[in-house]
Amino acid sequence: MSTLTKVLIVLLTIASIFLCGIVVTYVASADNYKEKYDSLFSRYQTAQDRKEDAEAQLNALKTRTDEEKLKLNGEISQRTQEVAALKANLTKIEIERDTALRKEGNWASITKDLTATNDNQRQLLENALDGQKKLNAELIKERRQLDDTTAALLEKGAIIAQLEGKLRSLIEDSTTLQNTLDKYLRQYGKAFVQPSPVTRVREAARVAPLVADIDLKGSLIAVNLKDLLAEISIGAADGVKEGMRFHTTRESAFVCDVVILEVEPEKAVGWIELLQEQPQNQPRAGDAVSTNL
Amino acid sequence: MSPAMSSRGKKVSVPDNLYTVILAVALCAVLATAGYVAFQCLTQYGAIFKIQ
Repeated sequence: MSTLTKVLIVLLTIASIFLCGIVVTYVASADNYKEKYDSLFSRYQTAQDRKEDAEAQLNALKTRTDEEKLKLNGEISQRTQEVAALKANLTKIEIERDTALRKEGNWASITKDLTATNDNQRQLLENALDGQKKLNAELIKERRQLDDTTAALLEKGAIIAQLEGKLRSLIEDSTTLQNTLDKYLRQYGKAFVQPSPVTRVREAARVAPLVADIDLKGSLIAVNLKDLLAEISIGAADGVKEGMRFHTTRESAFVCDVVILEVEPEKAVGWIELLQEQPQNQPRAGDAVSTNL
Repeated sequence: MSPAMSSRGKKVSVPDNLYTVILAVALCAVLATAGYVAFQCLTQYGAIFKIQ
């Protein structure tokens, strides 16, 4: 074997070993691209799935957003209408407030006037109360005087009653003496003449007795306009007397007067007076008659 | 190299078997490297010569 062959063998061996070492080193330290690819692919799939989920969520969110938008638009229009209504109400309330303020001013002036009037009335009331106190004092004083006068009057009344008793006994005595004197004078054809005083005695004024309404009511039975006579439905049994004047009325309108001339137990006849000229106001049967209007 | 040549006084040389052994070692190294590369390809990509 030649030397060259040997050298080549050695060089070939060294080169082979060197090259094999480099290859082994490279292969051992080389990256596993398949594993990386698988990892990246799985990550890609995951990202794709997430993208689809995100797109689905985005679409759902868009749909929901559109619905919310429509709903909010409706609410905005409703709120706009409510705002317009509230503005109208506010305007109305402001007008009412102005009216109320104006009324308040009027009432304040009225109250002020009433307060002044009340003060005046209170002053008048105080004056009236003072006057009433004075009048009460005077009334008490007058009442005392009246009591004294009443006591004196009672005392005078007792004296008068006593004097009347004496006067009555004197009149009886006078009557007895008068009868006796008449008896003696009649035997001689003479009579006793009551002496009249030369000067007229003035009597004190006396209080007239109390007068009460007779209050008789009846109706006309018959009317004779030719002789101006009328007959009424009540008589002496009811208290009718001659000379009584009955007023004839028809539906609260005056017709005439009837002055009683003759009285029977159950009816009476009278003279018609104050007859009116109108035919419709002439008395006729059935008209009411009464002593008092 | 025969013993006759060394006895005539020629210079000492390495026997030829040694180079055979060296070649064998080189071949083994290359084969081992090829096998290792094939094993790595098979384990990492599932195939030796094609990409799936």
